[in-house]
Order: sequence, then C-alpha cells, then structure tokens
Amino acid sequence: MTEQDDNDPNIDSTTETTLCLGKGLDVGTANLAAAVQNEEGGITVNVERNAFLDIPSDVYSKNMLTKLKVPYVVHNGKLVVIGEAAFELANVFGRETRRPMADGLVSPNEQDALPMMKMIIQKILGEPQVPGEHCYFCVPAESLDVDNNVVYHQGLFESMVTKLGYTAHAINEAHAVVFSELAENDFTGIGLSFGGGMANACITYKSIPCLSFSVARGGDWIDKNVASVLGVPRSKATHIKERGIDIRDPKSREEEAVSIYYRSLINYVLSNIKTRFESGQNMPSFNEPIDIACAGGTSMVGGFIEVFREEFAKIDFPLPVGRIFRSEEALTAVAKGCLVAAAIGED
Amino acid sequence: MESVNEIKEALSARSRTATLDELRSEGRKRVRLIRAEHVAQMISEAVHAAIEHSGLLGQEEVDQLVEKSRQEFKNILREREQEVQKLRETDEQLEQKENELTEIKTRFSELSKSLAATRAELEQTGNDLEALRELPVAAQPEVAAPAQSAMPNDVMMSMMQELANLKATMAAQQAQPAVPQAPAPDFSAALEKLTGSLNDRLENLGRKMGVSSAVESDAPLDFGGMFGDDQKVELESNMDNIKVKTKTAGGIAANLARLKKLKGGG
Repeated sequence: MTEQDDNDPNIDSTTETTLCLGKGLDVGTANLAAAVQNEEGGITVNVERNAFLDIPSDVYSKNMLTKLKVPYVVHNGKLVVIGEAAFELANVFGRETRRPMADGLVSPNEQDALPMMKMIIQKILGEPQVPGEHCYFCVPAESLDVDNNVVYHQGLFESMVTKLGYTAHAINEAHAVVFSELAENDFTGIGLSFGGGMANACITYKSIPCLSFSVARGGDWIDKNVASVLGVPRSKATHIKERGIDIRDPKSREEEAVSIYYRSLINYVLSNIKTRFESGQNMPSFNEPIDIACAGGTSMVGGFIEVFREEFAKIDFPLPVGRIFRSEEALTAVAKGCLVAAAIGED
Repeated sequence: MESVNEIKEALSARSRTATLDELRSEGRKRVRLIRAEHVAQMISEAVHAAIEHSGLLGQEEVDQLVEKSRQEFKNILREREQEVQKLRETDEQLEQKENELTEIKTRFSELSKSLAATRAELEQTGNDLEALRELPVAAQPEVAAPAQSAMPNDVMMSMMQELANLKATMAAQQAQPAVPQAPAPDFSAALEKLTGSLNDRLENLGRKMGVSSAVESDAPLDFGGMFGDDQKVELESNMDNIKVKTKTAGGIAANLARLKKLKGGG
C-alpha cells in the first residue's frame, strides 16, 4: 500500500511527515488499543487485553506482582490483576478471566469492572497532547442476530473518554477498518472487523458509510464452543487459538476443534452479509468490483483469509468483489482507522 | 248532529280525495254523490227501525246502546287517527335518515378519493426514492458526506410533513359533528381503518428511509454520572510503573492525504 501511495502523483509526499493531533481508540471485547502518530511518521499502538482476574489481597502477593511488573488494582479489598497478565495467570491457575465486555458491548454482568477498564484506557491512551484533543473510539453497529443496546455502550465510553480530557467521537468499528485499509480504493469497499465479541461489517462509497451492521459472533464464540467440546476453560481455548495455529492444517484434536468453529464463524458472517445485502434495504450498487478488507484480532489466525476466500467462493455474493485481503496489522487496524478519523477531524 | 260529524270523519278517514281530472283520467265521466248527513241519517233510521221491529229493546235501552256504540266508535276513530299520525312521523324520520345516509356516502366517497390520491402520491415518492437509491452510487453527484446523506432525509421529511398535513385535514373532517344516526358508526370505523392503514404505511416507509415519526431529543445521553463515585475514590494501583505492550504500524499520512483529496482540501 505504501509503495503504491509513494508512486501516486496525486498524493503530496510532504504530507507524510506531518504529525497530526488526534488519537484512535479501539474498544474491543478482547483487546483495548490506542493509536497515536509518532515522530517517525508511523503510528504507535498501545495494546492491552481487556480482562482481569481477582485474587486474594495480601502483602506478599502485592509485592510479588510489583516485582514481576504485573499491573494490579486494589478494588473492594481484592487484588485485581489487569490485562494480559490476568490472562496468563488465569491459564496457570486454570481459572476464567473476568471480562468487562461481552458480545462487543459493556457486559451488564461486570458493572464493577468499569473502573478497571477505565484505568486500562487511561494507561494506553495517555494524557491528551492538547486539551480537548480529538479521540475517536470505535463502537459496534446494531446486530442482526441479537438485541443490543449500542446507545448505552457508546454513551458510556463517550463519557469515559471525555473525562480523560479528550473530545470524544464514536465511529463504527468496520468503518474504521475502511479508513485504515481501503485508502487505495478511495475508501470504497467493504470493511470487516472480526473482533472478540462480534463481527462488524461496513460498506462505504468514498469514505461514506452506506450500510453497517454486526453479528454477535466472534473469537469468544469460538472459544466458548471449543472449550465446550474439549472440556477446558475458555482461557485455555483462547490460548490454543492464539498459539499460532493454521486453521487450514490443524495438527491436533484441539486445533481441529478451533478450525471447525473458525470455518463455521466465517460462513455465518458471510451468509449474514449476503442476506443483508440481498434484502435490498439501503443497498448501494457499484459499477466496479469492490475490495473486501478483513481486520480484527480474530482474523489473525493462520489461514484465516484463505478459508475466508474458500467460504466466499461457495456463496453467490450479490456484489462484484475484487480483492479479498487481511490487514497486515489486523490487531491494530481498527485503532489506526480511528486515528485516521481523529486526525482528519483535527485538521 | 254529532253523529253526522262522526260519520263525516269516518268517511273522510276511510275514503280518498280525487280531483275531477283524476277521475276523468280513470275513465269516469259521472259519479254519484251522497251527503254524509244522509248516510248518517240512513244508518240511524235503519238501526232504529231494526230495533223497533225486533221488539227486544225498550226506547231507553236503545238510547243506551246508541250511546255506547257512539262511544265505541269514537275510541276506534281516535286509535286510527293516532296510527295515521305515527305513520306520518315514521315517514318523516325515514326520509330524514335517507338524506343523512346520502350525505355520509358523499363524504365517504370524497375521503376515499383523497386517500387514494395520497396513497398514489406516497407510492410515487417511494418509487422515486427507491429509483434514486438504486442508481449506481458512482453515478450520483459527488458531494461532501453530510450533504449527501442529508439530502434524501430532507426530501423525506418534506414529504412526511406534507402527508402529515393531509392526515390532519382528514382527521379534522372526521372530527366534524358526527351524525347521531345508526349508519354513521360503520362509516367512521371504515374511515378510521383507512387512515390507520395510511398511518402504518407512512410510519413503515419513514422507518425504512431512516425517518422516524417519533420525537427524540437532540441532547446526547450523558452517562457521566455513572462514574461520579469512581472519580472520588483513588484506587491503589501500580499501573503507573507498568509499561503497556506497544506495537508500531505504518503511518497514516497517505490515508489522510487521500481523505483530504476526497474532501476537496488536497
């Protein structure tokens, strides 16, 4: 993409060195990521897992966690380990991590997790570079398959980010993928974000979103089902999924289970996209084939895009499609897209 | 003379009046005439003669019988008069109801035409919008995002306003003093059904086009209060001393340049 941009006479190369204000925040079910431009012309993304684990509070544990540089918070008399460390500890002790979000939205079962989540966001986002700096954070679209309250979710994070000194703006998650990945196509095409809690889709024409929706299945759905069939905790299933497997070539029974559910998830998402596009409501039409860009942590598994193309070939997709690709920075693409929106907003 | 008057009334009640022309048109050239007094006299003489010849009753009893018969005759006559009066009233009511029915039918027809016209207009506008939507996106004029997304809504809002006015007019017509007759409720129900159907169609179309008839405040929801307590309580944490995982990724300058170009600023 960069190579092509460098050759594009329409793009002023001097703009590449301009450092813009603004920050992008990916509020994901599995991971929280904050993106900001760095002085080298690239972007820096701070990532933390959106999970925590509470353990009994005592002086020894607290000292040990501090020595091991494991982030913790003392909350309601308990020692709460935060982020990736919580996930690792949960695997060691065979426990489940607690998750502030579920199915792409704030979990009503984990209300007391919000202070911890706020601390993580504060940590990864840092202080605003100027008072009221723009911060675009992602929100999911309305789901096709579940009744969810996006308004509450959006309002809650708007308030949280505002209290950190930013001017908060919400942007659709898959729209952020378009901003990040479809610049070559003048931001025309389909952005797909495969997150932990849900999969989001957005079809855009010249950066304008025409149609957005989501389905409430993602990496967590795979973990839940794999854990169920293998009889292991979910965090263990997550670990299997994330240890570097290729879903085209599973090497064990465990990987086979992951592979099966991955294919099922991709098929489910594609079928729903097809059905939604075929329903004809707010459906744009294109003269030229459009590209599909996939991103999100769940798309990072080996063989994802190949399986996606296989499943895509099985359905009669209602739009002419050109390239199907996965972002080279799948985990941070949404945060990057939010940053693009913030930077253009600051301009 | 009283009996003569009664006989006159009885004859009048049980006979018809016809003009000479009418009789002529019926083919009658001559008619026999008799005075009511003569009829009464004849009846009276006949009754008295019959009673006298029978030798069954004395004069006094005859007089009583005559009086009783006269009274009976009066009663029957009064009843008949009341029946005639009732018939006249019923006729008048019937005629009045027929007039009202005609008037209601006329109003119903006008409202139906108005509804049909509104529906046709609605359908036409829906088709136009659908056709506009189905146009290749690339063929649509390239404008800035807010203007492009706002245009169909403006058109839609304008159309919804116009239709709302029509509905209000129809509602006002319906709200006019209702006819307190039996057939009226049926037509009201039919009209309500029709306007209800129109309402449903309008609301469905509005929802499809992203325009809701519901009124919503522009003020954004502020959930800040939900964090009020968290702000006050300083949680013990070692987060300040912990470094988060950091990744670097490709820059966004090219993306921004393209976006600016799209927005016409590049």
